[in-house]
Amino acid sequence: MMTVTLLLDDTLQGIGLRYLLRQYFDIDAAMSASVDESGDSASSLYFVSPRVFASSLDFFIPRRARTVIIGESLDINGSESSLIEQLDSILKIVEQRRPEDTASAELSQREIEVLSLVATGLINKEIADRLNISFNTVLSHRKNITAKLGIKSVSGLSVYAMMNGYISESDLHR
Amino acid sequence: MALIYRDTRMSDVIDHEPSVIPVINRFGINLGTGDMSVAEICASHSLDPDFVLVILNTFVNDGYFPEERLLGFQVGEIIGYLVKTDNYYRHYQLPNIRRHFSLLLKSAEGANASLEAMYRFYKELEGDIESRIDHDLNEWFPAITELQADGAQGVVLPLPDSDSCIEDKLSDLKNMFIKHLSGNYDLNLCYAVIVAIITLEKDMRQNNRIRDRILLPISRSLQNKG
Repeated sequence: MMTVTLLLDDTLQGIGLRYLLRQYFDIDAAMSASVDESGDSASSLYFVSPRVFASSLDFFIPRRARTVIIGESLDINGSESSLIEQLDSILKIVEQRRPEDTASAELSQREIEVLSLVATGLINKEIADRLNISFNTVLSHRKNITAKLGIKSVSGLSVYAMMNGYISESDLHR
Repeated sequence: MALIYRDTRMSDVIDHEPSVIPVINRFGINLGTGDMSVAEICASHSLDPDFVLVILNTFVNDGYFPEERLLGFQVGEIIGYLVKTDNYYRHYQLPNIRRHFSLLLKSAEGANASLEAMYRFYKELEGDIESRIDHDLNEWFPAITELQADGAQGVVLPLPDSDSCIEDKLSDLKNMFIKHLSGNYDLNLCYAVIVAIITLEKDMRQNNRIRDRILLPISRSLQNKG
């Protein structure tokens, strides 16, 4: 999950940027007065004023690729649409570094097996026994299946499994 | 438009957020609102303007939920609104989806298996919503009204998990259309069905906030007193 932190001198500028990030990119940016090592991860992105950048070089230099300096890598004097285009390309570059986003949206063979068993009405414990995997592995497969398909309910998953021929009508009434 | 006030013109509210049309309808307010303000329309329909405003504002703004203010209304008023909502689902929104969905199915002339499977899923979901409405109207709401009147003993709560289960299925159905639909069908009818499903989904999500965060705590505290 990408986190965005704004460390700016101008409050109004911060509010404006925060609004654009939320409105167009669904990102809730945090506004902060100083750098915070504890909240930092490989997917943290920083928008900083040149002054803040200069005052915390030890923090930003190692994180240069995730740091956007206002006025240098982001031109804020253009129109709203030019700002949105710039933000879009910055965020795309950051997102591409995250391997989980590039994962395929297709179900794996194992996920199809789990889906078929869920669809025929088996509970997680029974699925774990049947496939000889742990309960937690079943849970994680189910989480991934729901994320990939956008379907959460058991009966919805049954319908999907039937639509794709993973199970037949007769499997459903066992 | 951030918030709606007494003197906001109703036509501006609708123009800004047409999905409030089913909400004002269930209060008995129809289209053709002219230049009347929210307060004027409420007066002509004998409605409590403060209550209507809270409902409209929570509906229009996803992040806005004045819990304190809602808890300050008479329980009867909140139940009255939820009864109207249930009846509106039952008599207008569900039949509307069913009608368009079955026309859509007909347009595919029996050659679209995925649509048929989705229609069966919709019928199941409709059954879930109908039983929740039955339970609301025949058991949960009357029990709260009785408890309030004479402090009678009785433990009646909403059907367990029905709210989240219905929300999940509505979102599943929407995603089936968006992500997984295949084969031939009438594009225009399909759009009508999706819009009706998305409208109901939003309506129920807002309605569930009132059920879960207002009426449920009230009915729990009444039972503890009883």
